[in-house]
Amino acid sequence: MIKLSPRLSQKISYLLLFLATVLAIVPGLLIISIIIAKGKDVFFAWDFLTLMPINGMLDGGIFPAIIGTLLLIIITIFLSLPIGIGAAIYLNEYAKDNLLTRMIKLSIVNLAGVPSIVYGLFGLGIFVMYLKLGVSIIAGVLTLSVMELPVIITTSRSALKSVPYLFREASLSLGVSRWDTIKYIVLPNAIPGILTGVILSIARIAGETAPLLFTAVAFYTPYLPHSIYDQVMILPYHLYITATQIPNIGKDRIFATAFMLLMIVLTMNFIAIIIRIYFRKNRKW
Amino acid sequence: MVNKIKVKNLSCYYNKQCVLNSLNINILQHEILSIIGPANSGKTTFLRTLNRMNDLNVNYSRKGEIYLDNNNIFFMNMESLRKRIGMLFEMPIPLPMSIYDNIVYAPKLLNIVSNKSDQDAMVEKVLKNVSLWNEVKDRLNSSAMKISGGQQQRLCIARILAINPEVILFDEPCSGLDPISTAKVEESMIRLKQKYTIVLVTNNVKQASRVSDKTAFFLMGKLIEINETGKLFISPQKKQTGDYITGRFG
Amino acid sequence: MKKTKNTIIEIIIFMCGTLSVIFVVSIFIFLLKESLGFFREYNILKFITGRNWYPDSNEPSFGIFPMVIGSFLVTFGACIIAVPIGVMAALYISEIAPKYVHDILKFLVELMATIPSVVIGLIGMCTIVPFVKNFFNIPTGLTAFSGSIMLAFMVMPTIVTISEDAIHSVPWKYREGALALGATKWQAIRRIVLKEARPGIIAAIMLGIGRLIGETMAVMMITGNSASIPKSIFSPVRTMTATIAAEMGEVVKCDIHYKALFAVGLVLFIITFIVNFIADFFLGKNK
Repeated sequence: MIKLSPRLSQKISYLLLFLATVLAIVPGLLIISIIIAKGKDVFFAWDFLTLMPINGMLDGGIFPAIIGTLLLIIITIFLSLPIGIGAAIYLNEYAKDNLLTRMIKLSIVNLAGVPSIVYGLFGLGIFVMYLKLGVSIIAGVLTLSVMELPVIITTSRSALKSVPYLFREASLSLGVSRWDTIKYIVLPNAIPGILTGVILSIARIAGETAPLLFTAVAFYTPYLPHSIYDQVMILPYHLYITATQIPNIGKDRIFATAFMLLMIVLTMNFIAIIIRIYFRKNRKW
Repeated sequence: MVNKIKVKNLSCYYNKQCVLNSLNINILQHEILSIIGPANSGKTTFLRTLNRMNDLNVNYSRKGEIYLDNNNIFFMNMESLRKRIGMLFEMPIPLPMSIYDNIVYAPKLLNIVSNKSDQDAMVEKVLKNVSLWNEVKDRLNSSAMKISGGQQQRLCIARILAINPEVILFDEPCSGLDPISTAKVEESMIRLKQKYTIVLVTNNVKQASRVSDKTAFFLMGKLIEINETGKLFISPQKKQTGDYITGRFG
Repeated sequence: MKKTKNTIIEIIIFMCGTLSVIFVVSIFIFLLKESLGFFREYNILKFITGRNWYPDSNEPSFGIFPMVIGSFLVTFGACIIAVPIGVMAALYISEIAPKYVHDILKFLVELMATIPSVVIGLIGMCTIVPFVKNFFNIPTGLTAFSGSIMLAFMVMPTIVTISEDAIHSVPWKYREGALALGATKWQAIRRIVLKEARPGIIAAIMLGIGRLIGETMAVMMITGNSASIPKSIFSPVRTMTATIAAEMGEVVKCDIHYKALFAVGLVLFIITFIVNFIADFFLGKNK
């Protein structure tokens, strides 16, 4: 075997690492561009976005699925955000290093790792059957909220952590109480980080299907939901059934649905990056 | 002279390791007590025990009593204790808000001032007290993070004055400052003595001799000697004190 | 007055903190409750080692073994692709890329992490699946192999992000030490940085495995859903997750089939619990 000089072997290795990076990133970009290329016509088909589906979903639009997805996102964030931030504040600002804290941390790690379909089973067992909420928006939202909780806690906690400890000491040393210190010093400076986390979890919620399969979704509803006890259509599930269960559906309809879903996800990602850049520029310390 | 603070048999520990060993000190009203000593002598621990900042540290524990005007501080409400005993840190720590808000932040929450005109008057008064008014009066609403280190440290003193404490603790307040800024901070300290009781922890022996009435020398968690500053520097009773102030170690 | 208000707020915050524990415990209890009902009617050993899953026949059998094999096959395949590429990409992003490239790459990785799995499934159905069918000339492209490839893309962000964090947190002075001795930057990376970051990289792989085992929608769309023991990676397989997702909609609530699916969920829960526990252990070691 030829012994390469260290310089040359560095060059070759860097090239390999670069190629690996390309290989890691390009498929993702490819997926996004295929969906955009094949689904972009939806922008010129206003009907598709605003009409109810008809003819066994072969015609009409995906309006109820868009509404359903937005509803689930809004209610889920509304429920899980305050609890998640509360838990993050507890862990970062109050918790002592004891058994309970270790248990909480372990629980969060494991909640984050529980497969989404198992959340679906949990939601079916507790919300749909035990609490008799039925297959409904509220059952789905509660399931999603439990599922998003660890994500919100983790991102909020690292946002709280990024606020220098010295600010807390300075405020406390002036006789300001712990809670007021959190409320007026820590939280305002942690908001950008928390916001970025929330927006990325919105992107995730928009794409969730498995936890909603038995808790909230309907194959087809002829009307928009009237209350939180109704079933809903959502974009990712609609995409799944049109792609796998309806054999003679037009491919463009499937891709148009995928495009809509991807647009929500991409928009959230761009908002997150804009917030991050904006606040990094205007950072006060 | 009245005893402001009485420390009785105070011992402090980090992770069970003793950093302050049965300390007894009386601090008189309206005096400046400076505490000198090499690193790890327990000076800062002592200071942070006086306003219970160390209570937040989970590894910290203590024994003994401290009395402020004959009330045990460990039985007092933490917020009202810290309102009475203000603290200035080693590094200037302005809060991430405007100069004006830095000063009114705590008084507003503690209901010391309510209306806007009282606030304005207070801001002007405390800034003049630390001779900062002329330097910042035109930019009270700009961020406190943007003024120089020396100005920030004087702003932090002004912030403490605004809550009207009885005792002010200084934790090596000039270690990061240039000589001119240091002189300005020391000048404020001497002026403050009229109204407040001051405890100053410093690594700078000369600073202790310049500003303080009394000086205490700490070594390895023990109080070696305490005396009037003049006497301590001219004729120290203990050999270690003499060695330290003449710069033979530490 | 203000004092009581603060105390109430602090109590609420404490309750928010403990809620996670309550949720994990209640997930476990609900899964366990239904599973125990199932094991009362069906032998647990037959459940774990059984080779047939015929829930609807007159003499139903619930053997989870083929699905366990299916899950592991897809997971293993995806790991073989994603781990080396992911770790190498993490090295490039963290050590070699200039600052602005680094920022762009991190953004792209984050973006990939939010692509919904149904979208990945859809793309798999119309690219990889026909390609595998034609290229290898087999009856169907819905195979474990196709699933592994698509899942590799899906798990890539997890592996890259967490490895990158681990590599990034290796103190700068370690590198300087090696460079001062005349090593090239690459030698410093290979000999020192990689070694120091190893616990974090292992954690990244474990978290990736946890995600792969739990992935449902994409797997269901691409791997063919055949509940028999696969002969090779080019056979259709069915994972534990896909079984639950596909069958729960059609079962009679509270009958044995319903409970059997909860038992599958319990197995999934236990596997991911262990995997995440190991990941957390290594993450702690990294600090």
